[in-house]
Amino acid sequence: MSDIEEYGFISKLIGPKKRWRAYKARVQQLPENYRTAVEAVERYMMHFVPTDNDNDASRFEDLADLFEQAAADGTPIREIVGENPVEFVEAFVQNYTEGGYVPARARKRLTDDIERAAG
Amino acid sequence: MSKQVTEMLKGTLEGIVLAILSGRPAYGYEITAWLRDQGFSDIAEGTIYALLVRIEKRGFVDVEKVPSEKGPPRKVYSLNAQGREYLDEFWRTWSFLTERLEQLREGGG
Repeated sequence: MSDIEEYGFISKLIGPKKRWRAYKARVQQLPENYRTAVEAVERYMMHFVPTDNDNDASRFEDLADLFEQAAADGTPIREIVGENPVEFVEAFVQNYTEGGYVPARARKRLTDDIERAAG
Repeated sequence: MSKQVTEMLKGTLEGIVLAILSGRPAYGYEITAWLRDQGFSDIAEGTIYALLVRIEKRGFVDVEKVPSEKGPPRKVYSLNAQGREYLDEFWRTWSFLTERLEQLREGGG
């Protein structure tokens, strides 16, 4: 069973709100600077409109997967998001959305927040 | 790594990752580490991760979750038949491009 089917099934069972809460709970478990970075990415992704409910939830779950694994491997934040975090997030979010409206200040905020988290 | 390499890589990274996976199954961290070893030092792990999500959605790879010593289970990606077909097409396109560029360099136009 693919993840999409699996998550689709889970989402019917537990609903989008529970998936969101489960995601937030996972993020709370991360080391502080990883959490700061995830929340910065999350804030930026909110500007994009998901193609459907499942994509809306799975983009955050996949984001948590990435950072949980990276935290376990000890990968520095800068190596996860790269020199240009805007480019990374936009490539990532393309998988779940058809586009969005992103004000210039949001790009700056993402860049600044990651700068802070990466230290 | 120069800005120019980064720009050129954008169009070819998908083919590069599929080519790596044609050798053997791998997870995201391994692919990123291999690329870094090969001198693609600026590649972010997240960029590879986003690409893996994309090729999974396009049906080019099969995914298996494998327990890891530390942290959550790892997603191990392997190239499937559809992915192999796409990789063949990538190499054909690549040959076309490199031949034409070589002609240009030699002044043939």
